[in-house]
Amino acid sequence: MPDDGDVVVFKDVTKRYRDVVAVDRASFTMRAGDVFGFIGPNGAGKTTTIRIMVGLIQDHEGQVSVGGHPMPAAMAEAHRDLGYMPQQVNFQDWRTVDQALSTFARLSGVPRDEVPWRIKEVLELVDILEYRGKRVTELSGGTLQKVGMAQALIHRPKLLVLDEPMSGLDPASRWQFKQIIKNLGRAGTSIFFSSHILSDVQDVANRIGILSRGRLMWTGTFEDLAAHFKVTNDYDIVLSLDNGRWKELASLAGLTAVVEVAPGRLLARIGAGADVDATVHAILAGLLERGCRVRSLGPITPNLEQLYMRYVQGGGGA
Amino acid sequence: MSLPLLFVDELRGFYRSRVMLFLWVGMPVLALVVHLLAQSSSEMPVTVLTAILVSTLSGTLASAMLVVSILSERERHVFDLFVVRPVKRRDILLSKFLAVYLCVVSAAMIAVGVGALIDYFNAAVPMDIVLDGVAKSLVMSFAMLAVTAAAGVLIGIAAPSMLVGVILVIYGGNQMSGVVGLAGYYLGNDALTIGIGLVLAVVLLAISVRVFDRKQL
Repeated sequence: MPDDGDVVVFKDVTKRYRDVVAVDRASFTMRAGDVFGFIGPNGAGKTTTIRIMVGLIQDHEGQVSVGGHPMPAAMAEAHRDLGYMPQQVNFQDWRTVDQALSTFARLSGVPRDEVPWRIKEVLELVDILEYRGKRVTELSGGTLQKVGMAQALIHRPKLLVLDEPMSGLDPASRWQFKQIIKNLGRAGTSIFFSSHILSDVQDVANRIGILSRGRLMWTGTFEDLAAHFKVTNDYDIVLSLDNGRWKELASLAGLTAVVEVAPGRLLARIGAGADVDATVHAILAGLLERGCRVRSLGPITPNLEQLYMRYVQGGGGA
Repeated sequence: MSLPLLFVDELRGFYRSRVMLFLWVGMPVLALVVHLLAQSSSEMPVTVLTAILVSTLSGTLASAMLVVSILSERERHVFDLFVVRPVKRRDILLSKFLAVYLCVVSAAMIAVGVGALIDYFNAAVPMDIVLDGVAKSLVMSFAMLAVTAAAGVLIGIAAPSMLVGVILVIYGGNQMSGVVGLAGYYLGNDALTIGIGLVLAVVLLAISVRVFDRKQL
Protein backbone atom coordinates (compact mmCIF):
# COMPACT_ATOMS: atom_id res chain seq x y z
CA MET A 1 0.00 0.00 0.00
CA PRO A 2 1.48 3.37 -0.93
CA ASP A 3 2.24 5.78 1.93
CA ASP A 4 0.78 8.72 0.09
CA GLY A 5 -2.15 9.15 -2.19
CA ASP A 6 -5.62 7.71 -2.23
CA VAL A 7 -6.12 4.59 -0.16
CA VAL A 8 -9.73 4.13 -1.21
CA VAL A 9 -11.22 5.20 -4.52
CA PHE A 10 -14.88 4.69 -5.44
CA LYS A 11 -15.84 5.67 -8.96
CA ASP A 12 -19.51 5.54 -9.99
CA VAL A 13 -20.15 2.53 -7.82
CA THR A 14 -23.70 1.17 -7.96
CA LYS A 15 -25.05 -1.91 -6.25
CA ARG A 16 -28.56 -3.18 -6.90
CA TYR A 17 -30.49 -5.86 -5.08
CA ARG A 18 -33.06 -6.66 -7.77
CA ASP A 19 -35.15 -3.46 -7.96
CA VAL A 20 -33.60 -1.81 -4.91
CA VAL A 21 -30.61 0.44 -5.48
CA ALA A 22 -28.53 0.08 -2.31
CA VAL A 23 -25.66 2.26 -3.51
CA ASP A 24 -26.25 4.72 -6.32
CA ARG A 25 -23.30 5.98 -8.35
CA ALA A 26 -21.11 6.61 -5.29
CA SER A 27 -17.83 8.38 -6.02
CA PHE A 28 -15.33 9.44 -3.41
CA THR A 29 -11.70 9.15 -2.47
CA MET A 30 -10.05 8.66 0.88
CA ARG A 31 -6.54 9.95 1.35
CA ALA A 32 -3.85 8.16 3.32
CA GLY A 33 -4.07 9.13 6.98
CA ASP A 34 -7.73 10.18 6.77
CA VAL A 35 -10.14 9.27 9.51
CA PHE A 36 -13.27 9.13 7.40
CA GLY A 37 -16.63 9.08 9.19
CA PHE A 38 -19.50 7.71 7.15
CA ILE A 39 -22.97 8.71 8.29
CA GLY A 40 -26.46 8.05 7.06
CA PRO A 41 -29.85 6.85 8.24
CA ASN A 42 -30.79 3.17 8.46
CA GLY A 43 -30.92 1.58 5.03
CA ALA A 44 -28.88 4.37 3.45
CA GLY A 45 -26.32 1.91 2.10
CA LYS A 46 -23.47 2.33 4.58
CA THR A 47 -22.92 -1.37 5.21
CA THR A 48 -23.24 -2.20 1.49
CA THR A 49 -20.62 0.44 0.70
CA ILE A 50 -18.30 -1.02 3.32
CA ARG A 51 -18.86 -4.59 2.12
CA ILE A 52 -18.03 -3.50 -1.42
CA MET A 53 -14.90 -1.76 -0.11
CA VAL A 54 -13.56 -4.85 1.66
CA GLY A 55 -14.45 -7.19 -1.22
CA LEU A 56 -17.35 -9.08 0.32
CA ILE A 57 -19.61 -7.80 -2.45
CA GLN A 58 -18.09 -8.00 -5.90
CA ASP A 59 -21.05 -7.87 -8.29
CA HIS A 60 -21.34 -4.10 -8.41
CA GLU A 61 -21.02 -1.57 -11.17
CA GLY A 62 -18.25 1.03 -11.21
CA GLN A 63 -14.65 0.89 -10.08
CA VAL A 64 -13.20 0.37 -6.63
CA SER A 65 -9.57 0.42 -5.63
CA VAL A 66 -8.19 -0.17 -2.15
CA GLY A 67 -4.60 0.65 -1.29
CA GLY A 68 -3.95 1.34 -4.95
CA HIS A 69 -5.13 -2.18 -5.88
CA PRO A 70 -8.16 -2.59 -8.15
CA MET A 71 -10.94 -4.66 -6.60
CA PRO A 72 -11.72 -7.46 -6.99
CA ALA A 73 -8.87 -8.20 -9.47
CA ALA A 74 -6.07 -7.58 -6.95
CA MET A 75 -8.03 -8.40 -3.81
CA ALA A 76 -5.34 -10.50 -2.15
CA GLU A 77 -2.88 -7.58 -2.31
CA ALA A 78 -5.51 -5.16 -1.00
CA HIS A 79 -6.38 -7.50 1.87
CA ARG A 80 -2.79 -7.68 3.08
CA ASP A 81 -2.96 -4.23 4.66
CA LEU A 82 -6.67 -4.17 5.46
CA GLY A 83 -8.32 -4.60 8.85
CA TYR A 84 -12.10 -5.03 8.92
CA MET A 85 -14.57 -5.11 11.74
CA PRO A 86 -18.13 -6.00 10.70
CA GLN A 87 -21.24 -4.63 12.34
CA GLN A 88 -21.97 -7.97 13.97
CA VAL A 89 -18.91 -9.92 14.93
CA ASN A 90 -19.25 -13.71 14.96
CA PHE A 91 -16.71 -16.45 15.41
CA GLN A 92 -16.97 -20.23 15.26
CA ASP A 93 -18.50 -21.35 18.56
CA TRP A 94 -15.68 -23.67 19.56
CA ARG A 95 -13.04 -20.93 19.56
CA THR A 96 -11.53 -19.18 22.53
CA VAL A 97 -10.55 -15.53 22.16
CA ASP A 98 -6.90 -16.59 22.00
CA GLN A 99 -7.53 -19.21 19.28
CA ALA A 100 -9.60 -16.80 17.20
CA LEU A 101 -6.96 -14.07 17.32
CA SER A 102 -4.14 -16.53 16.75
CA THR A 103 -5.79 -17.88 13.58
CA PHE A 104 -6.56 -14.44 12.18
CA ALA A 105 -3.06 -13.21 12.99
CA ARG A 106 -1.47 -16.13 11.18
CA LEU A 107 -3.81 -15.81 8.18
CA SER A 108 -2.91 -12.13 7.98
CA GLY A 109 0.77 -12.95 7.79
CA VAL A 110 1.92 -12.27 11.35
CA PRO A 111 5.01 -14.44 12.02
CA ARG A 112 4.29 -17.35 14.37
CA ASP A 113 6.69 -16.18 17.09
CA GLU A 114 5.08 -12.73 17.19
CA VAL A 115 1.51 -13.98 17.57
CA PRO A 116 1.35 -14.41 21.41
CA TRP A 117 2.55 -10.91 22.21
CA ARG A 118 0.53 -9.35 19.41
CA ILE A 119 -2.57 -10.95 20.95
CA LYS A 120 -1.60 -9.59 24.36
CA GLU A 121 -1.00 -6.17 22.85
CA VAL A 122 -4.40 -5.86 21.13
CA LEU A 123 -6.33 -7.35 24.06
CA GLU A 124 -4.68 -4.83 26.38
CA LEU A 125 -5.55 -2.08 23.94
CA VAL A 126 -9.26 -2.96 24.04
CA ASP A 127 -9.00 -3.79 27.73
CA ILE A 128 -10.13 -7.44 27.70
CA LEU A 129 -6.90 -9.28 28.41
CA GLU A 130 -8.61 -11.28 31.17
CA TYR A 131 -10.91 -12.86 28.54
CA ARG A 132 -8.03 -14.33 26.56
CA GLY A 133 -8.77 -17.95 27.50
CA LYS A 134 -12.58 -17.65 27.37
CA ARG A 135 -14.72 -19.24 24.71
CA VAL A 136 -16.36 -16.70 22.43
CA THR A 137 -19.80 -18.12 23.30
CA GLU A 138 -19.30 -17.03 26.90
CA LEU A 139 -18.71 -13.37 26.02
CA SER A 140 -21.19 -10.50 26.23
CA GLY A 141 -22.09 -8.56 23.09
CA GLY A 142 -19.83 -5.65 24.04
CA THR A 143 -16.85 -7.89 24.78
CA LEU A 144 -17.39 -9.75 21.51
CA GLN A 145 -17.33 -6.39 19.74
CA LYS A 146 -13.99 -5.67 21.40
CA VAL A 147 -12.64 -9.01 20.18
CA GLY A 148 -13.89 -7.90 16.75
CA MET A 149 -11.82 -4.75 17.04
CA ALA A 150 -8.82 -6.78 18.27
CA GLN A 151 -8.93 -9.11 15.24
CA ALA A 152 -9.06 -6.11 12.93
CA LEU A 153 -5.95 -4.63 14.56
CA ILE A 154 -3.89 -7.80 15.16
CA HIS A 155 -1.82 -7.45 11.97
CA ARG A 156 -1.40 -3.66 12.25
CA PRO A 157 -3.24 -2.81 9.03
CA LYS A 158 -2.63 0.42 7.19
CA LEU A 159 -6.32 0.73 6.38
CA LEU A 160 -8.92 0.00 9.02
CA VAL A 161 -12.57 -0.36 7.96
CA LEU A 162 -15.07 -0.40 10.81
CA ASP A 163 -18.81 -0.89 10.37
CA GLU A 164 -20.67 0.79 13.25
CA PRO A 165 -17.82 0.05 15.67
CA MET A 166 -19.35 1.90 18.60
CA SER A 167 -22.99 0.87 18.41
CA GLY A 168 -24.08 -1.16 21.39
CA LEU A 169 -21.10 -0.23 23.53
CA ASP A 170 -21.42 1.30 26.98
CA PRO A 171 -20.23 4.92 27.33
CA ALA A 172 -16.84 3.97 28.78
CA SER A 173 -16.15 1.51 25.98
CA ARG A 174 -17.30 4.03 23.38
CA TRP A 175 -14.87 6.57 24.77
CA GLN A 176 -12.16 3.91 24.69
CA PHE A 177 -12.89 3.02 21.06
CA LYS A 178 -12.80 6.70 20.11
CA GLN A 179 -9.42 7.04 21.77
CA ILE A 180 -8.15 4.00 19.90
CA ILE A 181 -9.38 5.40 16.58
CA LYS A 182 -7.90 8.83 17.34
CA ASN A 183 -4.54 7.36 18.35
CA LEU A 184 -4.36 5.10 15.31
CA GLY A 185 -5.29 8.05 13.11
CA ARG A 186 -2.51 10.13 14.66
CA ALA A 187 -0.08 7.26 14.07
CA GLY A 188 -0.93 7.33 10.37
CA THR A 189 -3.48 4.52 10.00
CA SER A 190 -6.21 5.36 7.51
CA ILE A 191 -9.59 4.66 9.07
CA PHE A 192 -12.98 4.42 7.42
CA PHE A 193 -15.88 3.97 9.81
CA SER A 194 -19.63 4.24 9.78
CA SER A 195 -21.72 5.37 12.69
CA HIS A 196 -25.18 6.45 13.70
CA ILE A 197 -23.77 8.38 16.61
CA LEU A 198 -23.03 11.69 14.96
CA SER A 199 -21.20 13.17 17.93
CA ASP A 200 -18.77 10.26 17.74
CA VAL A 201 -18.11 11.00 14.07
CA GLN A 202 -17.57 14.67 14.87
CA ASP A 203 -15.21 13.78 17.73
CA VAL A 204 -13.07 11.39 15.73
CA ALA A 205 -13.29 11.99 11.98
CA ASN A 206 -11.37 14.56 10.00
CA ARG A 207 -13.49 13.86 6.93
CA ILE A 208 -17.15 13.05 6.71
CA GLY A 209 -19.32 11.38 4.10
CA ILE A 210 -23.10 11.69 4.15
CA LEU A 211 -25.07 8.89 2.56
CA SER A 212 -28.81 9.05 2.00
CA ARG A 213 -30.97 6.53 0.12
CA GLY A 214 -27.93 4.99 -1.48
CA ARG A 215 -26.55 8.27 -2.74
CA LEU A 216 -23.43 9.85 -1.40
CA MET A 217 -24.70 13.35 -0.82
CA TRP A 218 -21.55 15.00 0.38
CA THR A 219 -17.94 14.39 1.44
CA GLY A 220 -15.50 16.79 3.04
CA THR A 221 -14.42 18.18 6.38
CA PHE A 222 -16.84 19.27 9.06
CA GLU A 223 -15.82 22.89 8.38
CA ASP A 224 -16.57 22.40 4.68
CA LEU A 225 -19.99 21.08 5.62
CA ALA A 226 -20.72 24.13 7.78
CA ALA A 227 -19.53 26.39 4.96
CA HIS A 228 -21.65 24.46 2.45
CA PHE A 229 -24.74 25.38 4.43
CA LYS A 230 -23.58 28.99 4.62
CA VAL A 231 -23.85 28.83 8.37
CA THR A 232 -24.47 32.32 9.63
CA ASN A 233 -22.16 33.94 12.09
CA ASP A 234 -24.34 33.76 15.15
CA TYR A 235 -23.03 34.81 18.52
CA ASP A 236 -24.37 33.88 21.92
CA ILE A 237 -24.17 36.69 24.47
CA VAL A 238 -24.89 36.20 28.17
CA LEU A 239 -25.43 39.37 30.21
CA SER A 240 -24.96 39.53 33.96
CA LEU A 241 -26.65 42.98 33.97
CA ASP A 242 -29.38 43.51 31.40
CA ASN A 243 -30.76 47.05 31.28
CA GLY A 244 -32.47 46.54 27.93
CA ARG A 245 -30.30 49.07 26.11
CA TRP A 246 -28.78 46.32 23.94
CA LYS A 247 -31.75 46.96 21.62
CA GLU A 248 -29.96 50.13 20.48
CA LEU A 249 -27.34 47.92 18.82
CA ALA A 250 -29.79 46.87 16.12
CA SER A 251 -28.53 49.64 13.87
CA LEU A 252 -24.88 48.62 14.28
CA ALA A 253 -23.06 48.17 10.97
CA GLY A 254 -22.62 44.50 10.04
CA LEU A 255 -25.21 43.29 12.52
CA THR A 256 -28.38 41.92 10.91
CA ALA A 257 -30.27 41.06 14.08
CA VAL A 258 -29.99 41.05 17.82
CA VAL A 259 -32.72 39.26 19.74
CA GLU A 260 -33.34 38.13 23.28
CA VAL A 261 -33.64 34.33 23.30
CA ALA A 262 -33.99 34.07 27.10
CA PRO A 263 -33.80 36.52 29.99
CA GLY A 264 -30.24 37.86 29.97
CA ARG A 265 -29.32 35.89 26.87
CA LEU A 266 -29.00 37.41 23.40
CA LEU A 267 -28.40 36.11 19.92
CA ALA A 268 -26.52 38.44 17.60
CA ARG A 269 -26.41 37.60 13.91
CA ILE A 270 -23.62 39.05 11.80
CA GLY A 271 -24.45 39.50 8.13
CA ALA A 272 -22.69 37.75 5.30
CA GLY A 273 -19.81 39.82 4.01
CA ALA A 274 -19.39 41.77 7.24
CA ASP A 275 -16.02 41.93 8.99
CA VAL A 276 -16.76 39.45 11.75
CA ASP A 277 -13.92 40.45 14.09
CA ALA A 278 -14.68 44.16 13.80
CA THR A 279 -18.41 43.62 14.30
CA VAL A 280 -17.91 41.41 17.37
CA HIS A 281 -15.61 44.07 18.81
CA ALA A 282 -18.23 46.74 18.12
CA ILE A 283 -20.98 44.66 19.74
CA LEU A 284 -18.94 44.19 22.89
CA ALA A 285 -17.92 47.85 23.05
CA GLY A 286 -21.54 48.94 22.39
CA LEU A 287 -22.90 46.77 25.19
CA LEU A 288 -20.35 48.04 27.67
CA GLU A 289 -20.90 51.68 26.64
CA ARG A 290 -24.63 51.23 27.28
CA GLY A 291 -24.07 49.93 30.81
CA CYS A 292 -24.68 46.22 30.11
CA ARG A 293 -22.37 43.80 31.85
CA VAL A 294 -21.19 40.91 29.70
CA ARG A 295 -20.59 37.52 31.29
CA SER A 296 -19.72 35.71 28.09
CA LEU A 297 -19.74 36.12 24.34
CA GLY A 298 -18.99 33.36 21.85
CA PRO A 299 -19.85 31.97 18.43
CA ILE A 300 -22.65 29.47 18.04
CA THR A 301 -21.30 26.54 16.06
CA PRO A 302 -23.82 24.02 14.79
CA ASN A 303 -22.85 20.46 15.58
CA LEU A 304 -22.74 17.65 13.07
CA GLU A 305 -26.16 16.45 14.11
CA GLN A 306 -27.75 19.79 13.23
CA LEU A 307 -25.93 19.96 9.90
CA TYR A 308 -26.77 16.36 9.14
CA MET A 309 -30.45 16.92 9.84
CA ARG A 310 -30.42 19.91 7.54
CA TYR A 311 -28.95 17.68 4.86
CA VAL A 312 -31.29 14.75 5.32
CA GLN A 313 -34.41 16.90 5.72
CA GLY A 314 -33.46 19.36 3.05
CA GLY A 315 -32.31 16.76 0.54
CA GLY A 316 -28.83 18.21 0.58
CA GLY A 317 -29.72 21.72 -0.28
CA ALA A 318 -28.20 24.57 1.66
CA MET B 1 -0.56 -21.00 1.52
CA SER B 2 -3.32 -20.92 4.12
CA LEU B 3 -4.68 -24.45 3.62
CA PRO B 4 -2.48 -26.26 6.19
CA LEU B 5 -3.21 -23.58 8.78
CA LEU B 6 -6.95 -23.65 8.11
CA PHE B 7 -6.98 -27.46 8.05
CA VAL B 8 -5.34 -27.77 11.47
CA ASP B 9 -7.69 -25.07 12.73
CA GLU B 10 -10.82 -26.83 11.45
CA LEU B 11 -9.56 -30.14 12.77
CA ARG B 12 -9.22 -28.53 16.18
CA GLY B 13 -12.84 -27.44 15.94
CA PHE B 14 -14.35 -30.63 14.53
CA TYR B 15 -12.59 -33.34 16.51
CA ARG B 16 -14.19 -32.21 19.76
CA SER B 17 -17.60 -31.27 18.40
CA ARG B 18 -20.64 -33.05 19.82
CA VAL B 19 -21.18 -35.07 16.65
CA MET B 20 -17.57 -36.22 16.67
CA LEU B 21 -17.80 -37.06 20.34
CA PHE B 22 -20.65 -39.38 19.40
CA LEU B 23 -18.51 -40.91 16.68
CA TRP B 24 -15.38 -41.31 18.81
CA VAL B 25 -17.29 -42.92 21.66
CA GLY B 26 -20.53 -44.05 20.01
CA MET B 27 -19.07 -46.10 17.18
CA PRO B 28 -16.81 -48.31 19.32
CA VAL B 29 -19.72 -48.73 21.71
CA LEU B 30 -21.82 -49.70 18.69
CA ALA B 31 -19.24 -52.37 17.87
CA LEU B 32 -19.63 -53.79 21.36
CA VAL B 33 -23.41 -53.70 21.11
CA VAL B 34 -23.21 -55.45 17.74
CA HIS B 35 -20.99 -58.09 19.37
CA LEU B 36 -23.53 -58.68 22.14
CA LEU B 37 -26.41 -58.88 19.66
CA ALA B 38 -24.50 -60.97 17.13
CA GLN B 39 -23.65 -63.57 19.76
CA SER B 40 -27.29 -64.58 19.89
CA SER B 41 -28.50 -63.91 16.36
CA SER B 42 -25.80 -64.13 13.72
CA GLU B 43 -22.69 -65.87 12.69
CA MET B 44 -21.38 -62.82 10.83
CA PRO B 45 -18.12 -61.46 12.29
CA VAL B 46 -18.47 -58.28 14.40
CA THR B 47 -15.87 -56.55 12.21
CA VAL B 48 -18.06 -56.96 9.15
CA LEU B 49 -21.24 -55.88 10.93
CA THR B 50 -19.49 -52.83 12.38
CA ALA B 51 -18.05 -51.94 8.99
CA ILE B 52 -21.55 -52.06 7.45
CA LEU B 53 -22.96 -49.86 10.20
CA VAL B 54 -20.06 -47.43 9.99
CA SER B 55 -20.42 -47.19 6.21
CA THR B 56 -24.10 -46.39 6.56
CA LEU B 57 -23.71 -43.82 9.32
CA SER B 58 -20.50 -42.04 8.44
CA GLY B 59 -21.61 -40.62 5.07
CA THR B 60 -24.79 -39.15 6.49
CA LEU B 61 -23.01 -37.73 9.51
CA ALA B 62 -20.12 -36.25 7.52
CA SER B 63 -22.35 -34.54 4.98
CA ALA B 64 -24.77 -33.30 7.65
CA MET B 65 -21.85 -31.92 9.69
CA LEU B 66 -20.49 -30.08 6.69
CA VAL B 67 -23.86 -28.65 5.63
CA VAL B 68 -24.71 -27.44 9.13
CA SER B 69 -21.24 -26.00 9.70
CA ILE B 70 -21.03 -24.16 6.37
CA LEU B 71 -24.61 -22.87 6.40
CA SER B 72 -24.40 -21.73 10.00
CA GLU B 73 -21.13 -19.88 9.33
CA ARG B 74 -22.58 -18.35 6.17
CA GLU B 75 -25.71 -17.15 7.94
CA ARG B 76 -23.76 -15.69 10.87
CA HIS B 77 -21.19 -14.07 8.54
CA VAL B 78 -18.34 -15.97 10.20
CA PHE B 79 -16.66 -16.33 6.78
CA ASP B 80 -16.40 -12.55 6.45
CA LEU B 81 -13.44 -12.37 8.81
CA PHE B 82 -11.62 -15.03 6.78
CA VAL B 83 -12.26 -13.77 3.27
CA VAL B 84 -11.14 -10.20 4.07
CA ARG B 85 -7.68 -11.64 4.62
CA PRO B 86 -5.24 -12.87 2.00
CA VAL B 87 -6.90 -16.29 2.07
CA LYS B 88 -8.22 -18.21 -0.92
CA ARG B 89 -11.87 -19.10 -0.57
CA ARG B 90 -10.98 -22.51 -1.98
CA ASP B 91 -8.79 -23.18 1.06
CA ILE B 92 -11.64 -22.42 3.46
CA LEU B 93 -13.83 -25.10 1.87
CA LEU B 94 -11.09 -27.67 1.35
CA SER B 95 -9.94 -27.35 4.96
CA LYS B 96 -13.46 -28.07 6.18
CA PHE B 97 -13.87 -31.03 3.84
CA LEU B 98 -10.51 -32.54 4.75
CA ALA B 99 -10.99 -32.03 8.50
CA VAL B 100 -14.43 -33.66 8.55
CA TYR B 101 -13.32 -36.46 6.25
CA LEU B 102 -10.26 -37.24 8.36
CA CYS B 103 -12.25 -37.14 11.61
CA VAL B 104 -15.03 -39.43 10.31
CA VAL B 105 -12.60 -41.88 8.69
CA SER B 106 -10.54 -42.03 11.89
CA ALA B 107 -13.65 -42.65 14.00
CA ALA B 108 -14.79 -45.36 11.59
CA MET B 109 -11.36 -47.05 11.69
CA ILE B 110 -11.39 -47.02 15.48
CA ALA B 111 -14.86 -48.62 15.53
CA VAL B 112 -13.86 -51.28 13.03
CA GLY B 113 -10.64 -51.80 15.00
CA VAL B 114 -12.67 -52.49 18.12
CA GLY B 115 -14.81 -54.93 16.12
CA ALA B 116 -11.67 -56.66 14.85
CA LEU B 117 -10.33 -56.97 18.39
CA ILE B 118 -13.56 -58.62 19.51
CA ASP B 119 -13.42 -61.00 16.57
CA TYR B 120 -9.78 -61.77 17.26
CA PHE B 121 -10.70 -63.16 20.63
CA ASN B 122 -14.08 -64.66 19.74
CA ALA B 123 -14.68 -65.30 16.07
CA ALA B 124 -14.76 -68.69 14.48
CA VAL B 125 -13.84 -67.25 11.08
CA PRO B 126 -10.08 -66.77 10.43
CA MET B 127 -9.04 -63.13 10.98
CA ASP B 128 -7.12 -62.77 7.71
CA ILE B 129 -10.26 -63.58 5.70
CA VAL B 130 -12.37 -61.19 7.80
CA LEU B 131 -9.87 -58.33 7.54
CA ASP B 132 -9.33 -58.79 3.82
CA GLY B 133 -13.07 -58.52 3.11
CA VAL B 134 -13.53 -55.60 5.51
CA ALA B 135 -10.54 -53.67 4.14
CA LYS B 136 -11.95 -53.83 0.61
CA SER B 137 -15.42 -52.75 1.64
CA LEU B 138 -14.05 -49.99 3.87
CA VAL B 139 -11.94 -48.52 1.09
CA MET B 140 -15.07 -48.52 -1.07
CA SER B 141 -17.03 -46.93 1.77
CA PHE B 142 -14.44 -44.21 2.19
CA ALA B 143 -14.64 -43.41 -1.51
CA MET B 144 -18.41 -43.12 -1.14
CA LEU B 145 -17.88 -41.00 1.99
CA ALA B 146 -15.70 -38.61 -0.03
CA VAL B 147 -18.54 -38.17 -2.54
CA THR B 148 -21.16 -37.63 0.17
CA ALA B 149 -18.96 -35.18 2.05
CA ALA B 150 -18.19 -33.25 -1.15
CA ALA B 151 -21.94 -33.12 -1.86
CA GLY B 152 -22.36 -31.76 1.68
CA VAL B 153 -19.90 -28.97 0.92
CA LEU B 154 -21.75 -28.06 -2.29
CA ILE B 155 -25.15 -28.07 -0.60
CA GLY B 156 -23.76 -26.01 2.29
CA ILE B 157 -22.51 -23.36 -0.09
CA ALA B 158 -25.47 -23.31 -2.47
CA ALA B 159 -28.51 -23.91 -0.24
CA PRO B 160 -30.51 -20.77 0.56
CA SER B 161 -31.30 -21.80 4.14
CA MET B 162 -30.50 -24.34 6.83
CA LEU B 163 -33.81 -26.14 6.38
CA VAL B 164 -33.37 -26.53 2.63
CA GLY B 165 -29.74 -27.58 3.15
CA VAL B 166 -30.61 -30.32 5.63
CA ILE B 167 -33.45 -31.64 3.45
CA LEU B 168 -31.20 -31.68 0.41
CA VAL B 169 -28.38 -33.48 2.19
CA ILE B 170 -30.67 -36.12 3.66
CA TYR B 171 -32.65 -36.83 0.51
CA GLY B 172 -30.14 -35.92 -2.15
CA GLY B 173 -26.56 -35.78 -0.90
CA ASN B 174 -26.35 -39.33 0.29
CA GLN B 175 -27.83 -40.68 -2.93
CA MET B 176 -24.85 -39.33 -4.83
CA SER B 177 -22.62 -41.89 -3.22
CA GLY B 178 -24.91 -44.49 -4.81
CA VAL B 179 -23.17 -43.68 -8.09
CA VAL B 180 -20.03 -45.22 -6.64
CA GLY B 181 -21.97 -48.27 -5.45
CA LEU B 182 -23.58 -48.74 -8.85
CA ALA B 183 -20.26 -48.35 -10.61
CA GLY B 184 -18.82 -51.03 -8.34
CA TYR B 185 -21.73 -53.33 -9.08
CA TYR B 186 -21.53 -52.97 -12.89
CA LEU B 187 -17.75 -52.62 -13.33
CA GLY B 188 -16.68 -55.20 -10.78
CA ASN B 189 -13.32 -53.46 -10.57
CA ASP B 190 -12.55 -52.02 -7.13
CA ALA B 191 -9.73 -49.73 -8.18
CA LEU B 192 -11.78 -48.25 -11.01
CA THR B 193 -14.81 -47.81 -8.75
CA ILE B 194 -12.76 -46.02 -6.13
CA GLY B 195 -11.24 -43.86 -8.88
CA ILE B 196 -14.71 -42.89 -10.09
CA GLY B 197 -15.68 -41.99 -6.52
CA LEU B 198 -12.64 -39.81 -6.05
CA VAL B 199 -13.11 -38.07 -9.41
CA LEU B 200 -16.76 -37.39 -8.55
CA ALA B 201 -15.73 -35.96 -5.18
CA VAL B 202 -13.13 -33.71 -6.84
CA VAL B 203 -15.71 -32.51 -9.40
CA LEU B 204 -18.23 -31.69 -6.65
CA LEU B 205 -15.56 -29.84 -4.68
CA ALA B 206 -14.48 -27.91 -7.78
CA ILE B 207 -18.11 -26.83 -8.38
CA SER B 208 -18.40 -25.83 -4.71
CA VAL B 209 -15.26 -23.69 -4.95
CA ARG B 210 -16.54 -22.05 -8.13
CA VAL B 211 -19.90 -21.25 -6.50
CA PHE B 212 -18.22 -19.96 -3.32
CA ASP B 213 -15.85 -17.75 -5.33
CA ARG B 214 -18.83 -16.05 -6.94
CA LYS B 215 -20.95 -15.93 -3.82
CA GLN B 216 -21.73 -12.48 -2.44
CA LEU B 217 -21.28 -12.87 1.31
